[in-house]
Amino acid sequence: MGLLTNLKDSVSRVTDRLFASEDPKRIGIYGPPNAGKTTLANRIARDWTGDAIGPESHVPHETRRARRKEGVDIERNGQSVTIDIVDTPGVATKVDYKEFLDHDIEKDDAIRRSREATEGVAEAMHWLREDVDGVIYVLDSTTDPFTQVNTMLIGIIESRDLPVLIFANKIDLDQADIDRVADAFPEHETVPLSALEGDNMDEVYDKIAEYFA
Amino acid sequence: MPHQCTNCGHVFPDGSKEMLSGCPDCGGNKFQFKQGSVDDVEADTSDQPAGDSDPQPTGGSEPTSGPEPDASTTPDTTASTDSPASDPTPSPEAPTDSERSDAELMESDTADAEESPAQSSARSDVVSSDELPDSPPDAASTADADEPTTESEETAESSGLNQLRSELNDQFESIRIVSPGEYELNLMELYDRNEYIISLREDGRYIIEVPDSWDTDMPS
Ligand SMILES: Nc1nc2c(ncn2[C@@H]2O[C@H](COP(=O)(O)OP(=O)(O)OP(=O)(O)O)[C@@H](O)[C@H]2O)c(=O)[nH]1
Ligand SMILES: [Mg+2]
Repeated sequence: MGLLTNLKDSVSRVTDRLFASEDPKRIGIYGPPNAGKTTLANRIARDWTGDAIGPESHVPHETRRARRKEGVDIERNGQSVTIDIVDTPGVATKVDYKEFLDHDIEKDDAIRRSREATEGVAEAMHWLREDVDGVIYVLDSTTDPFTQVNTMLIGIIESRDLPVLIFANKIDLDQADIDRVADAFPEHETVPLSALEGDNMDEVYDKIAEYFA
Repeated sequence: MPHQCTNCGHVFPDGSKEMLSGCPDCGGNKFQFKQGSVDDVEADTSDQPAGDSDPQPTGGSEPTSGPEPDASTTPDTTASTDSPASDPTPSPEAPTDSERSDAELMESDTADAEESPAQSSARSDVVSSDELPDSPPDAASTADADEPTTESEETAESSGLNQLRSELNDQFESIRIVSPGEYELNLMELYDRNEYIISLREDGRYIIEVPDSWDTDMPS
């Protein structure tokens, strides 16, 4: 695919200068399907801009295209931090339409959803390579954090030296195990929260300001 | 691998630089990798090529489908010499820019958390099936994925289809089509790729978007 590589390089040279260094940091919200990424993105956006970013759903792969919200001003201790947030599709190593059939989705729609979800993963991975300056990694703390997806994504994020925060979400649920999440990624700071209930959002914003200013 | 304009079907031979400034015929700026030789491809691009009027082999193991994989969708084995797998992509340190592949930008008046259709329409805006010049009837999605084909029951047709799939899979390591609607993803490969895959098709083709056009599809 040398053709495209060359093309891309020349496009990059043209567009590089368009980006000033003081642009707000672009923070990608990553994680497996259903972790609560969109719920978190909506909460952040609603708290600071009044708007939402996208639909939340208990059906996995609800988000199948990356969506961003620009210029989110977060105020902490009299200072203001501006970030762009990007809600990305949940990353998986397998997508099977059959998992959608349980959610009252017809087979044809399930197959289409599956294809879109796969395209969404490709998009999320593409963004991770090129377009984010920091990562909020969201995990459902009621589930086992030691998965292939989590290991690979965190590995890629580390290899890029991106600032990353691990968000142990859904702490409002009884089965939530924050320590298990923290132990899985000891190199990184873990912040417990409930994006749905808004629990511990003060610490969430403190950490965002600290890591992504 | 040759490329084909998704708008008018114009085919660019492998290595052609023509498409860099858009399609010379229609000005289109979306191209798909084209499996098979250029000759195959050209036969494939006319409006109603004789070879395409039969049901596509992607229809799966339905006995009503044609007996042989259509030449237009059979990958030329020589194409694999230029496969993504054999062409290591640059390291993550390669020059990048942030503008080309923007996510859908949510303006304050368009953000609507409850509106799911907006999302799906955003997807179909990118590549609708009628943008594909030789789109087969929606054969792939009607293929019978409920019945895994067992070795003993394999018809000549389904083994042709399986062979087609495995050849395509060899050329494109980052996403494996296990069966219609079932995918396996190689996250490392996806991360390493230069090109941005925006649309998959069950016959193993995929649509890429040339960086030039990466902003035009996004509402802003
Ligand atoms: N109990 C509880 N549920 C939550 C919390 N955060 C999200 N959820 C629920 O988890 C489900 C998935 O939430 P989403 O925000 O759509 O998850 P996502 O990570 O964006 O999922 P994909 O877009 O599919 O990758 C929804 O039913 C949410 O209501 C939380 O803090 N507590
Ligand atoms: Mg989501």
